[in-house]
Amino acid sequence: MEALGIELLNGLGLFATLGIVALGLGIVFGLMGVINLAHGEFVMIGAYVAYLVQDGGLNYWLAIPAAAVVLFFVGSAVEMVLIRRIYQKPELTILATFGLSIVLRQLAEILFSKNSRKVSNPIPGATDVFGITFPTYRLVLIVVATLIVVAVLLLFTKSRFGLTVRAIVANRGLAESSGIRTSVANILAFGIGAAAAGVAGVLVAPLVSVDSQIGLSYLPGAFLVVIVGGFTRLWGVVIGAAIVAAVQTGVTHYVDAVWAQIAALVLAVVMLQLSRSGSREVTI
Amino acid sequence: MRLNATNLHAGYGGVPALHGISMEIQSGEIVALVGRNGVGKTTLVKTLMGLLPVTDGELLLDDQPITNWAPSKRVRAGLRATFQEKGLFQELTVGENLRLNGFEPNAQDAVLEQFPKSLSGRQSQRAGTLSGGEQKMLAAACALKTDASLIIMDEPTEGLQPSNVEVLGDHIDNARSAGRGVLLIEQHIALANRLADRFIVVEKGRVVEASPADDPTIQTRIKKRLAI
Repeated sequence: MEALGIELLNGLGLFATLGIVALGLGIVFGLMGVINLAHGEFVMIGAYVAYLVQDGGLNYWLAIPAAAVVLFFVGSAVEMVLIRRIYQKPELTILATFGLSIVLRQLAEILFSKNSRKVSNPIPGATDVFGITFPTYRLVLIVVATLIVVAVLLLFTKSRFGLTVRAIVANRGLAESSGIRTSVANILAFGIGAAAAGVAGVLVAPLVSVDSQIGLSYLPGAFLVVIVGGFTRLWGVVIGAAIVAAVQTGVTHYVDAVWAQIAALVLAVVMLQLSRSGSREVTI
Repeated sequence: MRLNATNLHAGYGGVPALHGISMEIQSGEIVALVGRNGVGKTTLVKTLMGLLPVTDGELLLDDQPITNWAPSKRVRAGLRATFQEKGLFQELTVGENLRLNGFEPNAQDAVLEQFPKSLSGRQSQRAGTLSGGEQKMLAAACALKTDASLIIMDEPTEGLQPSNVEVLGDHIDNARSAGRGVLLIEQHIALANRLADRFIVVEKGRVVEASPADDPTIQTRIKKRLAI
């Protein structure tokens, strides 16, 4: 029973991590149709922001707003300089963002060297949850990541800005003809997507070694989540993260971690096949 | 407000569809633009709104060049358009479509009540599930009830019941009375005859007739041009 409880909490932790990492990709890929292969590097930059904040003697939690701001501007700049010219051209988007990911990793190596950096756990120790001892930081990560995901989802579903983004996704020309400045909304949406990735980087930083390659380990999982949850609705990120986390945790528990990865991949392929027979109708 | 198009050329992928259209529309008048299918009427609407680039010629709004302005900037300057097709965000609700056009929830009933009663209280219905006629009326409401000074309407009565054509005609007439200009692109000649101050006839991407509505020979010429 205790083993099952630990797996449940591990699954929740994985769900929260996948959800927060995939959230930005859900905005940029799912809603805006941009295949951003540099999304992992946005996570990396967020992790380095956490390192810099802590290394500078500041409170770790300040890294969350700091990374959100830094990545918002990075994402906005990427949209204006790179992505704006290649909307609706997926092959160019893949090439451009792949190139960007290489540039960002090289920049990280120039600035921080190839050596990995350590972000200290801001809440060390463990907490007793219904008789199960679990790392306190992982519990906090579950709560904080969930709150951030819900806040961003509410922004895109309940606010005027979210309505504007949905209108642009549905019909860009009509949106412009309704007076919506689509270029500004695109910058904001891309910036928010990047900011979400940066916050994800801050949250995972204490759990891993921070180096230039950190983003590569999160990108495939984020794409799996968005594919499983469905490209066309942002709430799908939550559903996708829940399904992928449940499959990976369950298969890891009963078989092993390798088969867990295979199972998640098979699931994504099945969902891709199913989505090909459906229409691309965007909801949030 | 006055919109001037001078020697306007535009097209699709290098294939020209407008071959030097010159025209003018100003506040307080209704200009009916008529022509057979495929002569470039919808291309002209898209070009005036900035959805298609001008390859030659010039567009002026109150003598200010707007040829390279984004559509949203034209809207903010006082231009509006309704389109022949896809005039609404199909996946969004009636209320969300109205909200995107500047009508917050507390103002939506007032807009819907002026159009067929069937749309009242249906703000939460997806626009794509409305009938074709209801969609046309809603799109027209979105344009006519804004504070735009010039409104371009591309075939607004297509698919409407005769009673709704009359209702829409009244709203267009009211817009003129309120000092707003309407460029009415219309196959429904009876409505154009009822409302227009001036007529423009387009053929093969060119203006071939431009006359005041009180020109005694214009009706004959239009009928001949349209082969009615």
